[in-house]
Amino acid sequence: MSQTMIKHEIPRKEFLSPGHLACPGCGGSIAMRTVLKGLGEDTMVVLPACCWSIIAGPWPQSSLKVPLYHTAFETGGAVASGIKAALEVRGNHETTVMAWAGDGGTFDIGLQALSGAAERNEDIIYCCYDNEAYMNTGVQRSSSTPAGAWTTTTPSDHPESHPKKDILSIIAAHRVPYAATASVAYPQDLLQKVRRAKSIRGTKFIHILSPCPPGWKHPDESTVDLARQAVQSRLFPLVEVENGQTWRFTMDHEGYPIAPYIKAQGRFRQLSNQQIEDIQQQINERWTVWENRVKYGT
Amino acid sequence: MKQTTRYGPPRVASSTTSTVANQTGSWKYIRPFYQDKIAPCNAACPVGIDIEAYIALIREGRWQGARELLLQENPLPAITGRVCDHPCEQACNRSQFDAAVSIHAVERVIGDMILQTPPARANSTSTHTIAVVGSGPAGLACAYHLVKLGHDVIVIEAAAEPGGMLRLGIPEFRLPRRILDQQIEWLEALGVCFRTNTELGTDIAWEDLSKFDAVFLATGAHSGRMIGIDEEDGPTFMSGLDFLKAVNVGQRPSIGREILVIGGGNTAIDCARTVLRLGADPLVVYRRTRNEMPAIEQEIREAESEGVRFQFLSAPVSVRHGESGTRGLNCIRMELGPVDASGRRRPVPVTGSEFTIASDTIIKAIGETSQLDYLPVALEREGTSLIVGGLGETNIHTVFAGGDMTEDTRSVAFALGAGKRGAIGIDRLLRPGRRQPDELAVEQLKFADGNVSMARWMSSDPVARAAPVNRVVSFDELNVNHFRHLARNEDRTTMMEENQGSFQEVNPGLTSEDAITEAGRCFNCGVCNGCELCLILCPDIAISRGTGEERFIIDMAHCKGCGICVEECPRGAMAMTREGL
Repeated sequence: MSQTMIKHEIPRKEFLSPGHLACPGCGGSIAMRTVLKGLGEDTMVVLPACCWSIIAGPWPQSSLKVPLYHTAFETGGAVASGIKAALEVRGNHETTVMAWAGDGGTFDIGLQALSGAAERNEDIIYCCYDNEAYMNTGVQRSSSTPAGAWTTTTPSDHPESHPKKDILSIIAAHRVPYAATASVAYPQDLLQKVRRAKSIRGTKFIHILSPCPPGWKHPDESTVDLARQAVQSRLFPLVEVENGQTWRFTMDHEGYPIAPYIKAQGRFRQLSNQQIEDIQQQINERWTVWENRVKYGT
Repeated sequence: MKQTTRYGPPRVASSTTSTVANQTGSWKYIRPFYQDKIAPCNAACPVGIDIEAYIALIREGRWQGARELLLQENPLPAITGRVCDHPCEQACNRSQFDAAVSIHAVERVIGDMILQTPPARANSTSTHTIAVVGSGPAGLACAYHLVKLGHDVIVIEAAAEPGGMLRLGIPEFRLPRRILDQQIEWLEALGVCFRTNTELGTDIAWEDLSKFDAVFLATGAHSGRMIGIDEEDGPTFMSGLDFLKAVNVGQRPSIGREILVIGGGNTAIDCARTVLRLGADPLVVYRRTRNEMPAIEQEIREAESEGVRFQFLSAPVSVRHGESGTRGLNCIRMELGPVDASGRRRPVPVTGSEFTIASDTIIKAIGETSQLDYLPVALEREGTSLIVGGLGETNIHTVFAGGDMTEDTRSVAFALGAGKRGAIGIDRLLRPGRRQPDELAVEQLKFADGNVSMARWMSSDPVARAAPVNRVVSFDELNVNHFRHLARNEDRTTMMEENQGSFQEVNPGLTSEDAITEAGRCFNCGVCNGCELCLILCPDIAISRGTGEERFIIDMAHCKGCGICVEECPRGAMAMTREGL
């Protein structure tokens, strides 16, 4: 059939409750919903400070139907390691421990704890839902914010000048058994990666692009469309890497122009056509790097 | 007081309830809802078939349901699947993505399947008897629908066998007689009575029809139009329809070697391909270019591949007199001028460009007009066409008409559509209680601006519709990101060498497996097919599967109105509305 009926691949059981406190059109919520479907009931979630600290609900509520541990911003990797160790001590080798952090808690503040866990090859899954800035506190730039983007700390006169940090390569360089990128627009791809990660022992890292309507300044309904355009345009290729060496694309990337993606977002409003053309140029150059990795490994 | 020492982990705040109690749905100011729209194929179909719905059933392998759905609107799917010029496919949204769904091929597979088993006799539930005059597609359709509606019907046919233009005007290699005969037998088994060799005005008088409760006239158009040159009624000239009729009843008229066919419609192409099969050499003379030809594109292509030659931008001027009688036609070159009323560029003669083409026989295939002499003068007409209303009504209360004798487009599909309209018109006249008066507006029975739907007339649409609107869904309303490109299952055409001199059917059709694959290419424009993307992509888990009539239920207490479901719906079957409306 010309439409892939993904409903047959998506488990029906829900581990996220409605009434959570995400903004309308939140990409991070779609990400959590899908990932929990892949992990199933026997899962514990570690949540360093991020949007999800709010989305999960105020005490005494929790929007997750699995245990969830709120913790400090910089500690995602460490606390997840600790909980896994405690479970092991008690003889539980089954329960999946997942750290769920935003880009701030992954790229910036939590990087040392994540790097430590990855270096020790702790048996955890670390998911970063990436909305490319500190959205929860009112849109401050992070090292995940792409060049050219407006945030409150990189206003339109002086938009973000540094390129987005290549977190996947950093984690892959730890030689972890599994690392991957994913997008909320491709739930079946994300699910496959989650299941794959669950089946492997050691540190698994999944980097999920999660558009944010208030932070990216796009209409609520465009969340999935932008997450898809980022992939189709090769800005955010869907890849997985085993042991930091074997790279693989998990999707065909059409290579559509980047301009519609940029122009659909208010945070890029200050960019001139020339600057958008430059971004296109960078994507093209970067694509060669991706292709070479897939072809030759690192 | 003695203090007890507590062991174990320190006390931490721990959640006890879920977030379900939060009415986050109160944040929204717009809300989504399911809204079925009209697929462009349905609106474009002159017969008024719910194409989208039966294709959806085929994809799921539900042949029985697809047959019933198709038969509800179209009595002759095996025939339309072969000879209809399928305007549905021109309208198909998929043509803007890769290539239109091959609807006619799928319809043909179902049609052939239907002919395998005779139908159960329709229940006669009315005391009325209706006379249908003419057994071409319009007459057959009207009779079929009236019988299914419970009336008794007698079809009066002047020729020896029923079928009208289907039998006399369409060559065997496009519509095998075997199929037509099976179709007629099938209709007889359903309860349609035929009285052949009975011509109105000769064998039966107009006054004799007054004993019927209603009359549906569909006697077609048989007189060939004239070119307007001298001597065109001479022996070397022949009307295209007369030529096809002669060949179709088994004659092999002696026409010579060099044959000119004047015209650019389906009759012209059919004549040329028939001439080829009689072993002669046809040249089609048309006053515009190939782009303006009204004939079905596929038929033109097949004619070309079989070896039919074309002389475009040329019009006949006079008969050329050689030494032994007339041996040719003097023509003049044309060029395309400004666009005329038909939307095509008008051909204008180029002065001084006369030339001559040798010919043994000249076949005029430039259209037909109807003969209305046998009808009472009281019946209102415009030129040679009867004037009819939206449901085939003439100015005489119990007389209805349709097909080529009215001002409708001349094709099998339009005739079938007119027959259906006439049947509904007659049913409305004879059984006024079937529907409430305020529901009788013709507009409400139509697929958008297309033909009327029998399902709507009978209020028996088997497809559950969510808040339907009678509007065609455009390509821009679809989200084609969810579709993959898939090649169209093209008709398999037998090779030219095999066709020479043979009246074998050129197109053997698709297999039923191919038909299912082809049905899988359908977008299901505007109609929910339960793909569940809305449910899967909702950030607020606010959409759940429904039971019974409702496919999905939106939990308005938790829907925040983001609109992702509407945006991502691949087929435009959802919409947003202002909260509170």
